[in-house]
Amino acid sequence: MEIRFHKRITTAYIFVSPLLLIIFLFILVPILGTCINSFFQDIPYLPKKFVGMRNYLILIKNPDFWDALKFTIFFTLASVSLETILGISFALLLKERFPGRGILRTMLLIPWAIPTVISARIWQLIYNYNYGLLNYLLQGLGFSDKINWLGTPQSAFWALVLADVWKTTPFMAIIILTGLQAIPEDIYKQAKVDGARFIKRFFFITLPLLRPALIVALIFRTADSLRIFDLVYVLTGGGPAGATRTISVLGFQYYTSADFGLGAAVSSLTFLIVFGFSLLYIRLWGIKKL
Amino acid sequence: MKKTAILVRNVKKIFSTAKGRVLALDRINLEIKPGELFIILGPSGCGKSTLLNIIAGLEEPTEGEIFFGDKVVFSDKKHLSLEPFERDVAMVFQSYALYPHMTVYQNMAFPLKNLKYKKKKIREQVIKIAQMLRIETLLERKPAELSGGQRQRVAIGRALVRTPQVLLMDEPLSNLDAQLRAEMRVELKVLIKDLGITTIYVTHDQTEAMTLGDRIAILKEGVLQQTGSPDELFYCPKNTFVAGFIGTPSMNFLSAEIIKSIKKPNITIGIRPQDIEIRPPNKGIINAFVKLVEKIGDKYLVHVDYRKQKIIIETSNFSKEKEVSLFWPKEKMHFFDKNGERIESVEIRFSFV
Amino acid sequence: MSERRIKSIFIVTGSIFLFLFIITPIFWMMLISFSKNISFLTGGTYQFSFSNYITILTSKSLHMMDYLKNSLIVASITSPIVLIISSFSAYAITRINFAGRRIIPLLVLSISIFPQISIVGYLYRWMGNFGWINSYVALVLPYLAWTSPLALWILLSYFSQIPKELDSAALIDGAKRPKILFRIILPLATPGVLSGLLLVFIACFNEFLFALMLTSDYRAQTISVGISLFQGLHGEIPWGELMAASFFVTFPLILLTLVFQRFIIEGLTTGAIKE
Repeated sequence: MEIRFHKRITTAYIFVSPLLLIIFLFILVPILGTCINSFFQDIPYLPKKFVGMRNYLILIKNPDFWDALKFTIFFTLASVSLETILGISFALLLKERFPGRGILRTMLLIPWAIPTVISARIWQLIYNYNYGLLNYLLQGLGFSDKINWLGTPQSAFWALVLADVWKTTPFMAIIILTGLQAIPEDIYKQAKVDGARFIKRFFFITLPLLRPALIVALIFRTADSLRIFDLVYVLTGGGPAGATRTISVLGFQYYTSADFGLGAAVSSLTFLIVFGFSLLYIRLWGIKKL
Repeated sequence: MKKTAILVRNVKKIFSTAKGRVLALDRINLEIKPGELFIILGPSGCGKSTLLNIIAGLEEPTEGEIFFGDKVVFSDKKHLSLEPFERDVAMVFQSYALYPHMTVYQNMAFPLKNLKYKKKKIREQVIKIAQMLRIETLLERKPAELSGGQRQRVAIGRALVRTPQVLLMDEPLSNLDAQLRAEMRVELKVLIKDLGITTIYVTHDQTEAMTLGDRIAILKEGVLQQTGSPDELFYCPKNTFVAGFIGTPSMNFLSAEIIKSIKKPNITIGIRPQDIEIRPPNKGIINAFVKLVEKIGDKYLVHVDYRKQKIIIETSNFSKEKEVSLFWPKEKMHFFDKNGERIESVEIRFSFV
Repeated sequence: MSERRIKSIFIVTGSIFLFLFIITPIFWMMLISFSKNISFLTGGTYQFSFSNYITILTSKSLHMMDYLKNSLIVASITSPIVLIISSFSAYAITRINFAGRRIIPLLVLSISIFPQISIVGYLYRWMGNFGWINSYVALVLPYLAWTSPLALWILLSYFSQIPKELDSAALIDGAKRPKILFRIILPLATPGVLSGLLLVFIACFNEFLFALMLTSDYRAQTISVGISLFQGLHGEIPWGELMAASFFVTFPLILLTLVFQRFIIEGLTTGAIKE
């Protein structure tokens, strides 16, 4: 071991300690604390009581929890698939050179720049029964019936998916575009010379070479969808009648209206689900670098 | 400027890599005299840069001791290891490592600022060194605006501005084109000799080493092969590696046997291309077939084939013969045993194989 | 049809679709925000007016300006602090050989996957115990932690591109590590630092759940809470005013993004693509 080893290590640890401290105090400890709280019953005006696994048993028996879980998973599947397909399409479009490309590329950043809750309220307006854009268009096209977009579970589901896709597709598109631009043009030229048509080129060259970037983007986006809160809370509030509650929203509702301990239990489960899923993803797609 | 002797004693460096432990430096011993321009020469990967970093204090040896004059700079026994700055060394890097966002002046002033010199003194010193290196007109420029040669002078200037007791140079000329390299070689030597700073200069280019150095240490895979003056290395190489490394074109090696006893030990005979004379067939020591002739300037490099071994001869005259014989004086032969170690021969009777 | 022809059709239709896709909500927001009343939608005429904007900017009871002020303050405090903290860490990780060098980036990165709901409950209790609920402290501290993966990741990718030889030269020249960080590394990583500041700033504006739970009124609530809770004074949502508030906030954010788009895209993608 070298002589100045201790000095070097000490310097390093001093440098990283502020960051580690902040993360420890305001992220790690709260997660641990939430987990611990989940074993307690914590109702307003009553003393906190240790109840062991009871909150979890309650959840397992509660259809609300399973509904929320199901909704979250379906929402994630729909949203991530759509934004990936759209993202790839937009990226392919923007890779080509044509007049106006620069403007479109710049515009792509707009949905990303808007705070989520603001976009949620805009979509809330668009879906509004009386003043929304969609119904306004419907009427203009001659349909006599207006649709209550946020009023039924089915349509609310897709309303949320659309709003989420609007917000997040740009991020996907940018990442994929960057990945596309990293593929050398020569490979395509060679493929064209070899007679490969577009679809073939896409599936045999583009997709495989995009894989690393796609996988990383997918992990983040899927985790984001699983834990989504902002958009849902503001756009539908989890309604109609709790039909669009994601697990985060459910946790929030328990925190603010019912048993704080139950909220903690849902929150802990949410953490496990999101984290567990990410590990699974990494295992499945085998990211060697990591 | 101060003149300091450098003593490197039994320095060993082991790296722990993913593939296990690598012995990068194996018991290096060097004694560098005050004011000497000392070269560490060797092929890529031989450990010369590691050794330089160790002397600078950027890395630590696993074992050994290093002294600058009387001062212990590193000692594993005494558990002492000085930081680079505490050693009063300056270093010129192969890539120059100039601070890109600072002007030439700021680059050269940086070490002095860290020494807490007063502004006026800094200005005086920087200008003085800049004038010595003829870059005083470039002081307000940034490195990106300079040519390779100019950047190199700035790097040297930044090193000299502190009047260090030891100057270390890590292949400073290898990023320059051939002509500039030859010019700078001369300038560097004059500059260093004028200043008289003890200098350790690392390179893989044996021409550079031979023209610049007072003494040279040749390193191969972490092991010191030979230390000596350029003449010693050229005329008395201690092993086939040194013999083949020094001199252009490199020494020819021929296999031979000692006709002595029943054992007939194998040896290698070395003979430099410049020492071989081309004669008509059967008038020399061996006969050979000409494979290729290269002409460089007014010299010929004749490639011949002898018993499936290649020999190169450097000569001023050559007419296009296909078969020749080669002759060389006895004294110009070098003998090496089967391990490549030099044999001091009084008389060796041998035959080629 | 030739491939080229198909391509042209794809480009034209694709561009139109992309344009409409992005612009439509924005357009609707602007349209409604500038309309005197929303009844033009149910039969009436459209009247252009600034009245909504005047209302939200001047009406004290709506507190829009307070929310905006709070967001600006919290974002402005958080950004520089998190960048400094992260630069120290990024320096150590990219330049010093120590045990945590590989683990720490992974740990910090994994945090960006954590659900906020799993953090905020405990934070609420904790902050409550200190009496910090509804204060800037309650937001800045969690924001520092929450935005640190972003800052660290950007700085790591920029720092790792600066040659280590510069550090060696500076060490020989007598500079100590902090000095090297501030005088050499940070100046050379300026684009990264700017991207980081920008992205963290925007992230603070964007954040919702922590602000929702850890603040309770206009004195500390941020604009994201303000706009999400905006119900108007009489029950029915005043869409015109809501859209005016929305546009008022999003306009500068969009401008900021457009002006600094190169930094933003670099910051976002260097991390993703490299790994």
